[in-house]
Amino acid sequence: MASAYEQLQQQLKQLPGLGYRSAERLALHLLVEKPARLPALVQALEEAARTVRRCTRCGNLAEGDLCVICADARRDQAVVCVVEHVPDLAAFERSGAYRGGYHVLHGKLSPMHGVGPADLNLAALTARLADGTVRELILALSNDVEGEATCHFLTQQLPPGGTVKVSRIGFGLPSGGGVLYADSVTLRSALEARREYS
Amino acid sequence: MRLRRITLQHFRNIAGAELAFASRRQFFAGANGQGKTSLLEAAGFITALRSFRTADPAVLIAHGQPEAALACELDHERLGPTRVVIRLRPGSREVSCDGERVPRIADYLGRFPTVVFTAQDLQLIRGAPALRRRWLDLTLAAIDAGYLAALQSYHRALDERNRLLKLGGPPAELAAFEHPLAAAAAVLGVKRGAALAELTHCLAAAYGRIAAAVEPAAVGLAPVAPAADADGWRRIYADGRTRDLRFRTTLAGPHRDDLEFTLGGRSARDFGSEGEQRSLMLALRLAQADFFQARSGVEPVLLADDVLGELDAGRRERFWAAVGSARQVLATGTRPPDTGPDDWERFRVAGGAFAMEASGA
Repeated sequence: MASAYEQLQQQLKQLPGLGYRSAERLALHLLVEKPARLPALVQALEEAARTVRRCTRCGNLAEGDLCVICADARRDQAVVCVVEHVPDLAAFERSGAYRGGYHVLHGKLSPMHGVGPADLNLAALTARLADGTVRELILALSNDVEGEATCHFLTQQLPPGGTVKVSRIGFGLPSGGGVLYADSVTLRSALEARREYS
Repeated sequence: MRLRRITLQHFRNIAGAELAFASRRQFFAGANGQGKTSLLEAAGFITALRSFRTADPAVLIAHGQPEAALACELDHERLGPTRVVIRLRPGSREVSCDGERVPRIADYLGRFPTVVFTAQDLQLIRGAPALRRRWLDLTLAAIDAGYLAALQSYHRALDERNRLLKLGGPPAELAAFEHPLAAAAAVLGVKRGAALAELTHCLAAAYGRIAAAVEPAAVGLAPVAPAADADGWRRIYADGRTRDLRFRTTLAGPHRDDLEFTLGGRSARDFGSEGEQRSLMLALRLAQADFFQARSGVEPVLLADDVLGELDAGRRERFWAAVGSARQVLATGTRPPDTGPDDWERFRVAGGAFAMEASGA
């Protein structure tokens, strides 16, 4: 039987981004260096575990039925930006460039990693599309094979009649970045996604 | 381009070596297992950061050493005098060009073309289709980052689709992965077609010079690709679903392409003599060099690993005439060359050490 300290360290090591050494460092920090932090951390974890859940509409983190974005009446819920993960949504929010709603899939199709349609937050999206409130879908999935396949799969699930406008975000040069430092594949997509200049 | 100096450290059995080349002809003589081929392997490594002998870079690091390093000083048509340094550690490789790190391999590919001639080249005619596809893929990927990107996407999508086929995946999911699969297949098809047309042109010219033959040599896809664009491939994958589900793998597509070499329109594999096949493979490597030069504007360095000894004197002479004097050649063999150009710089290789011999024929 492992000691309590070892058990803590093993639990920490399971967390993403933490290896043996980081887990050891965290455990020592909480138990020896700053034990006063521990109760607040435990309380925060318990509180979050009790209250945080998925938004029933979009899949974002929420403390009630709806997340703050879905509950915000000032946002245009007829436009839905589809993202893979919650941090992708957070990145759009930080940009301040978007005032519509979201849909978080919590992954992308990848049979190699055992992810099929049933593992994605698709049923809620189908329901949103079926009730006719969605006018436009912006696909903001990653620019790789699995992202492409997931986009294709999604567009095949759209209600017939073609009332929903579908677009995919552009892939190209980073802002403030010059042509010089872009790799050739990025340059190619930037060229393909060029727009008329007026 | 021209290789002026090559420095190796802990590369295979070469603990440390620094070789300076004054001319365009270097010959490395020595018994087997002394380090001749390792030197060519190092010189060839700068093209695409791959070895022509192994897919596992870890074996390039001398036993018991933390890393291997190779540095090449070259005169380059576009970059001028250039120093390329490559450090290999287990699981990582680091490239710098004139002291600046190269973060993206895609940008590096094609800058420093080399072409390797080996005794195994005959397998390209006689061996399995996978060898020919690999040769085509490596030749194109070495100078075309777009080809490499399409090839990687293709294989990723293929792995995903094959996984679905093993799981008996539903049509909608199969279709989802056929979408990027078909897009990549179309890119590969167009690029392979264009490259093979150019390669055939170069091959016919080179074969004519080496074999002094009238029948034209050619290389092409056999059979010809069944689709010309992404929509065509999409239909082929969709139509093949029932069959593919039964076999639990994707049975059609660019990953099943094969090449056929012909002499006067007849299969070189079935009808070519031993001598014709040897000449054809030398011509293919020269064609590859011409192709690299046409695409990149850079003269490739030729690396001939123990192939010239097997040729008769007439072919050897015509081979040197076909190579021309502008291209640098690094050649290995157990015996010094008896024919060909007489300006060879000769090195004797023993136990991973190199010693320059007095020059002269």
